[in-house]
Amino acid sequence: MLSALRTSFRISVNSLVRSFQTTTPATIDRLDHKRIPADDEGVQGEKIIDLDSVLKAKQGLFPTLESDNILYDGVPYKDLSICNIRVSHNNTVFTLTDHAGTVKLIRSCGMEGFKNTKKGTNIAAQTTAISIATKAIDRGIKNIRVRVRGLGPGRLSAVKGLQMGGLQIISVTDNTRVSWNPPRPRKARRL
Amino acid sequence: MFLTLKLLGNRHPSFIARTVFVKNNNVEDACRLINRVLGKDGILEQFRLTRYYEKPFQTRRRINHEKCKAIYNEDMERKIKFVLRKNRHEPFPGCH
Repeated sequence: MLSALRTSFRISVNSLVRSFQTTTPATIDRLDHKRIPADDEGVQGEKIIDLDSVLKAKQGLFPTLESDNILYDGVPYKDLSICNIRVSHNNTVFTLTDHAGTVKLIRSCGMEGFKNTKKGTNIAAQTTAISIATKAIDRGIKNIRVRVRGLGPGRLSAVKGLQMGGLQIISVTDNTRVSWNPPRPRKARRL
Repeated sequence: MFLTLKLLGNRHPSFIARTVFVKNNNVEDACRLINRVLGKDGILEQFRLTRYYEKPFQTRRRINHEKCKAIYNEDMERKIKFVLRKNRHEPFPGCH
């Protein structure tokens, strides 16, 4: 009897303490919202997931003091070869270098046979990535770090293509050039 | 120690900042996470803003609009919280 009372009390306390959630409202924007896009979260439809919870839940996602010396197939992380990907609106260029930055291989969507606007598509980036991956495997490279620069249609598919080509991607780094006090940029496009 | 030296030696050491390790061969998740980090840190926004020159009148307009939006959002959030407030032992009975 007493224990039953206690459990019921505990349940009620639990329900009291339990925080309730409400979905974020779809605000009605009367202002000219076309001119200024909403806060960029990087990914569409990912706004509900809180970044902090992801960081707490998973360990070893970000580089630490020891990460330079972690071995991958007997090679420390800092000595792994690097695949630099330069993504722009009109083209995607892959450069495979060793850890010191000596260039081993270069492929771009234009070299792969895509011409003009087709160079800037994600399909072009993917096929180029697969071809450079097979070439890299021929040279005995298995594990790579990826460093991506720039935003463009081929950004995600380039990294995916490298994996599809059979390379083991250890880490993904962003190296987009962003300045907070840049020289005056070119004039805006008139649409 | 090593990290400090590396940071001292180079202002922008590569593979320290904006880096995500791929877990379980899941490249897509890593890319998504790094994109989210970039978005949260305002790097994508800065990239977008500095691609083309923004004339002063456009900056003024944008800043004003952002201010309006922030005020509106804050008020609306408060209103919705007020409307949806719950004052009972179990806020959502039968919804476990």
